[in-house]
Amino acid sequence: MKPLNIRDVAKKAGVSVATVSRVLNHPDQVTEKTRNHILEVMKEMSYTPNWFARGLNLNKTGLIALMIPNIVNPIYTEIAKGVEEIAHSKGYSTFLCNTEDSEKKESDYIEMLIHRKVDGLIFIGGHLGQEMMKRIERDQLPSVMIGSIQGEWNFSQVYSDFFEGARKATLHLIENGIIKVAHITGDLDFIENQEKLKGYKAAMENAGLKIKDKWIISGDDTIEGGYLAAKRLIRAQNSPDAIFIANDWMAFGAMDAIKTEGLNIPRDIAIVGFDNNRMSALVDPKLTTVNLPAYKMGLTACRLLFDEIESDLEEKTSIYLPVTLKIRQSCGLSNGIKTIFGE
Amino acid sequence: MRLKTEFMGLSLKNPILVAAGPWSRTPEMILKSLDAGASAVVTETIAMEVRQNVRPWLYYKNGGYENTRLYSDHALEQWIQFIKQIKKSGGPVIASVMAHSPSEMAYISKSVCKAGADAIELGVSIPHGESIAVMGSNPEYLYNSIKRVTQTVDIPIMVKFSPHVTNIPEIAKIVEDAGASAISAIDTVRSILGVDLENRRPLLQTYGGLSGPPIKPIGLATVASIAQSVEVDVCGIGGIETYEDVLEYMMLGASAVQVGSGILSQGVGVIDEILKDLEKWLSGKNLLINDVVGSAIKSLKPMDDIEILPYKAMLSGACAAEMCTRCIEGCIASAISVENGYVRIDPEKCIGCGLCVSKCKSGCIELSWRL
Repeated sequence: MKPLNIRDVAKKAGVSVATVSRVLNHPDQVTEKTRNHILEVMKEMSYTPNWFARGLNLNKTGLIALMIPNIVNPIYTEIAKGVEEIAHSKGYSTFLCNTEDSEKKESDYIEMLIHRKVDGLIFIGGHLGQEMMKRIERDQLPSVMIGSIQGEWNFSQVYSDFFEGARKATLHLIENGIIKVAHITGDLDFIENQEKLKGYKAAMENAGLKIKDKWIISGDDTIEGGYLAAKRLIRAQNSPDAIFIANDWMAFGAMDAIKTEGLNIPRDIAIVGFDNNRMSALVDPKLTTVNLPAYKMGLTACRLLFDEIESDLEEKTSIYLPVTLKIRQSCGLSNGIKTIFGE
Repeated sequence: MRLKTEFMGLSLKNPILVAAGPWSRTPEMILKSLDAGASAVVTETIAMEVRQNVRPWLYYKNGGYENTRLYSDHALEQWIQFIKQIKKSGGPVIASVMAHSPSEMAYISKSVCKAGADAIELGVSIPHGESIAVMGSNPEYLYNSIKRVTQTVDIPIMVKFSPHVTNIPEIAKIVEDAGASAISAIDTVRSILGVDLENRRPLLQTYGGLSGPPIKPIGLATVASIAQSVEVDVCGIGGIETYEDVLEYMMLGASAVQVGSGILSQGVGVIDEILKDLEKWLSGKNLLINDVVGSAIKSLKPMDDIEILPYKAMLSGACAAEMCTRCIEGCIASAISVENGYVRIDPEKCIGCGLCVSKCKSGCIELSWRL
């Protein structure tokens, strides 16, 4: 049987082809009564629009892409949740590109997105090569960057403040009398982890505290890396009394290591993580951490992207979403009003 | 006609607005308030991120309502449709907006403005679920947020104030300097409405925001302080349930008011009732509503300017003690006693505080002095 087309619907509904087309593409321009009638007819006939033809017609594919470096990292899952929610509410599908920080995958995906004519792209600043970003700019693909990077780029962006988060986390430990604070870093190839290291150092230096080189140690952004880094810190001479850890994932590993060494969190070693991963409220003791509003960043980035897709405005928007300290138990300072209201 | 007024550049048919709150969470509810006579409605607070609300989140005790609800449970996209729908029905709508940074505040404001909102109320005083110090108590943050919004949109901006700010004149001045057109006061007051003694836990599981008649005196003082400090319009909020409440706020400098928990007490019918009574009161005195605005402020005096007169409590007639002894129990000077079944006030002991006058139900005590 020949597939149904828009003409069949128009005939059955007793309206013009243009009216059916408007119901599909600009439903707000059709009266509610007519719209409901036509939708009802479509349902009766089991008609579904040909999205490919529709894309050609409107010069829109109804597809946006989200390019993230690591699908396993819960921060990117949260961002994806926010992006997908807005895209879905706009009737769009989201094409997920997981690059694993591989230049090859990045360039493959960018070519694919441009050839497939996606309507827009959301990517993570600092995790996409400069050549790739130039390619996007050149192609005038509506794009929004999550995070902030050096240089003059003409993208709308949503960013937070990793430096400030790390400074707050470290300061929280210092303000409560801990002098020996170590830092397990993430992969220092990436700007967010460099910023966290700077924030840690700034808090220590402002408090007039010594930073020992051996107290700054990489945890490789993984649970296993966090575990090993914590073991090394504990077993070293002059071991720290607290550790600020650059993400919650590594913090979970570190907590495991501290427990297997027979030490108590927070009595022997206090811990503060980063991200406010959903799991951080479930581990024992509950993890004190820095809340990075990742889900909200996804929502916001996608809203900015649709502002660009839906209008021809050249104007770019930057939105800053602050980090906050989420005080729970692992820092050892959980009693009191700060657990309810934060700092 | 007596009720027609101008508020932050908007021409309103009367000074009664409906406040941001759960009674303004859908277009249907907002239109219901407009139908009931409100001149404009403030939406429930719109934020970038919808957060799940705990249950229960509303508790009533001693005339006050404690609320732990966090903002609207509808997304920004949904509110854009809602505002369009309300505007189609012709109603003036003010979007309540909350955010965590100036750029975020400006973005949401721009979105609701494009949807057709007539004005925006910025929420900077939420007492629960946010920080210990309300956002509005940080002058730099407050200035930057408002400035960013007033530079982004061209509709009037009202900033919602809280009593959780110590230096109200300073903060009000910042709001004015940043280009806002009005200040509304007060937001709810951080509260714990009571403790369940048997189970030893607060009635609601966290701190909440108190509204209703118990906060009215705090609202009145805040409104007067703002009106005495800045030129921008003031909108009174807090415990308004009758036309007298409206007049009190307006005489202390508010040029409009918002009804909120009055709706929880009496339904939207409270609006119509207030309007009728207000009209009646004004016509009885042959006044327009604008005539009363600020009319009581000049009677607020510095301590030094208040005449010190040798007032004593005196009975205006015989009062049988068997009816009530409220005056006797409360007298800190032990000046009131019962003699032969009648209330007696000892002028030697009375120190003229006036408490018995306001406590007396039958109005038989007055403060006066004799030459």
